[in-house]
Amino acid sequence: MKKLRSILGHTGAILGLVLAVVSPFLLFGWFQHAIASAGLRIDPEYTGGEIARTIDRGAYRIAVYQPVWRRSPIQRIAPFVQLTWAPAASLPETVSDAVDLDGDGVADIRVTFRPAALAVDVASLNGKYRSVHSQGVTSFSQLIARVNERIVLRLPLD
Amino acid sequence: MAKQAALAQRSISRSLLLTLPILLWSLLMFSRTMMQSGKAPKIAALITLAFGVVLFFQMMRTLETHRWRRYFFVALGFLFPIGFIWDLVSLRGTMSIPVERMLSGDTPFCFMVIPMVIVPAALTRSIIFPGSILPTASNPHAIATMVALWLAATLIVGKAWCSYGCFFGGIEEGFSAVAKKPVIKKLDTRWRWMPWAVLAAIVLLSLATFEPVYCTWICPFKAITEYPQVRSLETAAQMGIFVTLFAGLVVVLPLLTKKRTQCSFLCPFGAFQSVFNRVGPIDVRIDTAHCVPCNICEKNCPTLSIDNSAVKAGKPMMSCMKCGACVDTCPRDAAVWHIKGTDVGSHSERARLFHLYAVWAFAVMFGGSIIANTLTKLLAMVA
Repeated sequence: MKKLRSILGHTGAILGLVLAVVSPFLLFGWFQHAIASAGLRIDPEYTGGEIARTIDRGAYRIAVYQPVWRRSPIQRIAPFVQLTWAPAASLPETVSDAVDLDGDGVADIRVTFRPAALAVDVASLNGKYRSVHSQGVTSFSQLIARVNERIVLRLPLD
Repeated sequence: MAKQAALAQRSISRSLLLTLPILLWSLLMFSRTMMQSGKAPKIAALITLAFGVVLFFQMMRTLETHRWRRYFFVALGFLFPIGFIWDLVSLRGTMSIPVERMLSGDTPFCFMVIPMVIVPAALTRSIIFPGSILPTASNPHAIATMVALWLAATLIVGKAWCSYGCFFGGIEEGFSAVAKKPVIKKLDTRWRWMPWAVLAAIVLLSLATFEPVYCTWICPFKAITEYPQVRSLETAAQMGIFVTLFAGLVVVLPLLTKKRTQCSFLCPFGAFQSVFNRVGPIDVRIDTAHCVPCNICEKNCPTLSIDNSAVKAGKPMMSCMKCGACVDTCPRDAAVWHIKGTDVGSHSERARLFHLYAVWAFAVMFGGSIIANTLTKLLAMVA
């Protein structure tokens, strides 16, 4: 029994060495592949969530995201909905778009902003959503920012 | 030291022979850097290679671990932030991360986040970190990359990550090595449980708030890596906490106590990594038949992992990071490296060799690449 335990211990030590040697060539790649294919996603707080629909405006497209709600009562971030305008380079000097947020075919808000200034006026068209004036980043749930080739707008939901 | 006097050094030829596998491994690991265009990467790779090989040779020759490991570890600790800050400043002109970069998934993922993301990821399949799953051109430190690295490291080195791989620990160890004698000699060992409390708190709070609370509010190393842009009272308060904890636990207390106080009293990742301490095939034991006890091991342990109860139990606590300080300083050879399943003290040097080959291979691969990258930047600046 004592000898068997010793053999097992030595086998474990040798296995540790083998793992160290194969780590950069096999092990690391396997783990990375396994994690990447585990169906994980970055939290909607950072990505804005799933795109609900896109609106084609010819020179540019508007993506309307699904609302991101609180998942816990002590979560600090307020609920929000994200919209993006892309490509930012193709946007006119002043953008003014009526946008249907909930997908019922009726425009809910009018969004007006100048891409160069990153200040936005959101006017509620039917009282479902509140009117907001926002400049730059106020919080994760209220912001207008240029992110790579997109203008990202987040509107707080009450 | 009685032990040093008693130990005959290993012969040069035998030490060289034992160093040969690490030399070959290092050549393999640095071959890509050496093939890069320009002189700086080649010189940096050669310096790093020589540094690692010489230290390993010294470990073989002197039969000491902790002293030589420390040179590598401290170099890693001090060079990592230089290279990291360099990259941040050249990329965006500042160390702070703007919200725009978070929204585009460009925040480099850090291993400290791992304990906080596991439970929310298991329950919601969402990772509560503003990074990217796979590497991108603007963010090579992706989540899958860093988690894979951590998994591989945990399998190979376990808790020894904290003494060979953690660049943050290297900074602290550097400061703890400055003074000859500690100014504060007596530390309340009950603080040892603090990292476990912090770990439990951040895991639960991260699940409850869906944000990595340790990174947002506590991590002392934000002060020297990347922090959220200060644009409100809240972010200013966070920055104040980062700087205070860094100054107190990473600089001042290690200088005064000669201990790794941040690791011992705060680090939740260290506590998390301790869970895997019992997994590896090699550990440190205290041969109670040979132990006096003189408490030299307790005085020299950088993480307060040895006390009277540990000595009586014949093994350090779970927080032992296998740095070898106790083994190197024990005057009676009672603290020994040990292959699990064998008699304590029967194969100490063999156990040390198994341990060192595995951890040094990892250290060269991971820490070596960080050292070489920073040296490349510094050399390019000088040239």
